[in-house]
Amino acid sequence: MQPLTLRRLLWTCGGLSALLLACVVLALKLGAVPISVTDLILDLGRIAIGRANELPTEYRLIVFDLRLPRILLGIMVGAALSVSGASFQALLRNPLADPYVLGVSSGAALGSILALIIAPGFALITPLGAFIGAIATIAGVYFLGRREGQLDSTTLLLGGIICASFFSAIIMFLMTTLTGRDLRGMVFWLMGDLSTPVSAGMQWIFTVGLIAGIGAIYSTSADLNLLLTGEREATHLGVDVTRVKLVVYVSASLLTALAVSASGAIGYVGLLIPHAVRLIFGSDYRLLIPASALCGAIAIVLADTLARTIVPPTELPVGAMTAMAGAPVFIYLLRRGLR
Amino acid sequence: MGADLPRFWLAVRCAWMAVILLIFCERAIAGQSSSARSAVPAGRELTDEVGRRVQVPREAGRVVSLAPNLTEIVFALGNENHLAGDTDYCDYPAEAAQKPHVGGTVNPNLEEIVSLKPDLVLATKSINRRETVDALDHIGLPVFVTDPHSIEGMIASVEHIGAAMGVEKSAAALAEDLRGRLAGLDRRLAGDAQRRVLFVVWTDPLISVGRTSFIADAVRRAGGRSVVETKTEWPHVSMEEMVRLQPEFLIFASAHAGNTQHDIDELRTRPGWKNLAAMQHGKIVILSDAINRPAPRMVDAIEQLARALHPEAFALRTTPSEFGGAGFSLWGLAPARTKTHRLKPAPPLVAPNTSIEEACLCNR
Amino acid sequence: MSTHETFLQAAAGREERPSRDQAVRLNVEQASYAYQVTAQAVPTFTLGATSFQAREREIVAILGPNASGKSTLLRLITGTIAPLSGRVELDGQETSRLDLRTRAQLIAVVHQESPVVYPSLAGDFVLQGRFPYGRALRFANRQDIEIARNALAQVGGEHLAKRNIGELSGGEKQRVILARALAQQPRLILLDEPTLHLDIGAQVELLERLRQLAQEARYTVVVVTHELGLAAEFADQVVLLQHGRCLRVGTPAVVYQKELLEQVFDAPLDVEIGPAGRPRVNLRARRGEDIT
Repeated sequence: MQPLTLRRLLWTCGGLSALLLACVVLALKLGAVPISVTDLILDLGRIAIGRANELPTEYRLIVFDLRLPRILLGIMVGAALSVSGASFQALLRNPLADPYVLGVSSGAALGSILALIIAPGFALITPLGAFIGAIATIAGVYFLGRREGQLDSTTLLLGGIICASFFSAIIMFLMTTLTGRDLRGMVFWLMGDLSTPVSAGMQWIFTVGLIAGIGAIYSTSADLNLLLTGEREATHLGVDVTRVKLVVYVSASLLTALAVSASGAIGYVGLLIPHAVRLIFGSDYRLLIPASALCGAIAIVLADTLARTIVPPTELPVGAMTAMAGAPVFIYLLRRGLR
Repeated sequence: MGADLPRFWLAVRCAWMAVILLIFCERAIAGQSSSARSAVPAGRELTDEVGRRVQVPREAGRVVSLAPNLTEIVFALGNENHLAGDTDYCDYPAEAAQKPHVGGTVNPNLEEIVSLKPDLVLATKSINRRETVDALDHIGLPVFVTDPHSIEGMIASVEHIGAAMGVEKSAAALAEDLRGRLAGLDRRLAGDAQRRVLFVVWTDPLISVGRTSFIADAVRRAGGRSVVETKTEWPHVSMEEMVRLQPEFLIFASAHAGNTQHDIDELRTRPGWKNLAAMQHGKIVILSDAINRPAPRMVDAIEQLARALHPEAFALRTTPSEFGGAGFSLWGLAPARTKTHRLKPAPPLVAPNTSIEEACLCNR
Repeated sequence: MSTHETFLQAAAGREERPSRDQAVRLNVEQASYAYQVTAQAVPTFTLGATSFQAREREIVAILGPNASGKSTLLRLITGTIAPLSGRVELDGQETSRLDLRTRAQLIAVVHQESPVVYPSLAGDFVLQGRFPYGRALRFANRQDIEIARNALAQVGGEHLAKRNIGELSGGEKQRVILARALAQQPRLILLDEPTLHLDIGAQVELLERLRQLAQEARYTVVVVTHELGLAAEFADQVVLLQHGRCLRVGTPAVVYQKELLEQVFDAPLDVEIGPAGRPRVNLRARRGEDIT
């Protein structure tokens, strides 16, 4: 492989974006109600030029009010989780790190359960509670993970695991007080589910947070390449290790928090997509970050489409799909040597 | 080869993000215009049982039911011709299984619901998720949510659903009939002491019903009193406590013809269970699973239970009444269909013996 | 004679003495440091005032047993920590006051081998040495690639460029790490126990290369080591440390006194002066006997 050049980066991202677009069209087409591709493209065109009202109502409802938001949410969640996973793998210098290793998803789950118990009447309480819980966990693990004033990988990892276990214990306890319906909903959400519509406000927060988070992490991607060879080595090459670790920690945790608030804890994506991208495109983080984001989006869109269509008309939660597909892939990568 | 071009690359990324944003905006605009669709012809505004304001048409031409008990109510009201779709688990009466299905109760397929073009969707708080109701609301479909907690509540639900669908007359007639039967039951049982019972929802772990559930209310109407007094809807109770309290009767509910007797015989040998006087003396009642569904059939089950608890009050009648789908259950061994019938009061979506911890932590 | 001696003798034939009138590059003047858990607590370890100077083209060995303060001195030189008293200056500038970027352009540090978590090509690894010269998201340009290639050539590793780092032998990996340091185009190269994982042949090869580089490219090289023999053979100056105190600074001949070395390393030793004027250290297994 040649050293990474801008041209190669743009070509790779362009190719993956095109693939993502194809997957989006496929996802819009497939579903419990069949839609033809040509009609779809024509309709997209009609919407683009503002003649949305000419479409038959149910059809428009299904495609643009039900499927498209779900697909867009899937893209965002996939991108957020993959980038977060890749970042934690660099921050902790551990190939087994994933977005949830620092306890963010347990904190989010606890937050949403508390919200359900405290204020069950309020409509959007679950994502809000999840987000607050996640942020609180991020702050808590940060303070636990500090040593001599800066973040230490091992301590951070231990802090995260402790928080995750602690919160899980509380969640178990609280779940006995939930009513049956809320319990079912919570279990669904814990597996990872894209079917809950996200309010408009939350969409904006998500978009802004996604751009800010990925942008911040990307600005440190060259530093991350060096950080992987060791913290001392990176310092001696001119990397401000303390700052980089803080930026990556906060941004990656924020991305995880956003993803988990919107869709529950979808597993395997954050862990495996960065490794798959590394196998294909190499370990350079300047390419790994955007490629992971795009591949993660593709993976979630495909998994969600499969979840919607595999046992019609039942919808499976997308987390179940990623787990079923993810486990064999994980085993394959392990045997190949998780690199 | 590229050199220092961070700004250029940043611009490319911003462009990509801008495209996503654009799509969002379009969708938002599309969302606005489609909500206008909810201008239902000649509508009335009702308040459903959870306090939501719902715009329903004068006469619901196409109704989708999202829970088995609601489907039963629709059929009981004689309005099945307007039932456009129901769930996979709606199995009573037999015609309900022939209707187009929209998926499960917890995760119905929203696209299917929309494609059936309903004027009204029926849901119930104890089975369906708020997220489903919110999602349907979001796209402008009227959803009427019921939330019965007692037998009287169930009858009231029948009346409300009748009103929502525009068949008030049938609803009134059915309600009167049900209330009449219950009043008759009350008279027959007047003066008899309440029998102390344990209603067994699940055996591993042992789960019973709380005093606010409609099953407890049904037991009360049938002349019984649950020994479990807590407010939690589906409390896990301890075997020792039951041995200490020694209920007079054990009540099980089941859906299928099967080996319930065999199951109970097997239970009889287990520690704790074998110490229960009710088990030793065979004071076991197997009800039809209609007791689990807040629908008109529940009254049948109540009558059946009353007969079992107070046989002397019914001494003149010797033939047992219709079981209506009663049978024997295989605890958790029955195929998914059966298990789901018991899904309402039973632990959901996690197999028995799966700890909640596994359900929580198994994100991978 | 042992193999060790053969090698050393062969290497001795090629040495050159640096001239005394070259510019002082690294000036360590009475620098000291103390590690304290809190500001009021008793220091857990102290490095006493140390002074030495290193010129262009010189190899300085910082010698001492474990826990003698070598790493602390190393960190003072790299500017990672600031001296409690005294000064550490590189070309007149205090190293601890330099910003990270400038520091990386002036000082290159070769650490002991650290485990490589993700695979990368040796060529990409060496390119990382150009990091201090670019902006945040910089991609390598032609000049960078040229410099990296030259650095690899200087260590005799051009053929390693396309190989995966994880597959290289210890000696090859050490060469690639050194190449990365060279790609930084520094003035001072610091090596922290570079010979730990190497066999004797690779050790000699490394030090030979360092000497050659120092001569040709005018680097100043500082090597932290506890290998007596190598330091004697290759260093122009030796700084001897024990328990955080600097015991002696000077040429190997001056520093390698039998009583001093025996006390510092706590082993029975014999010191001879070899034909080129460099001391040779022999280990005595029992008092009064030679094992060679």
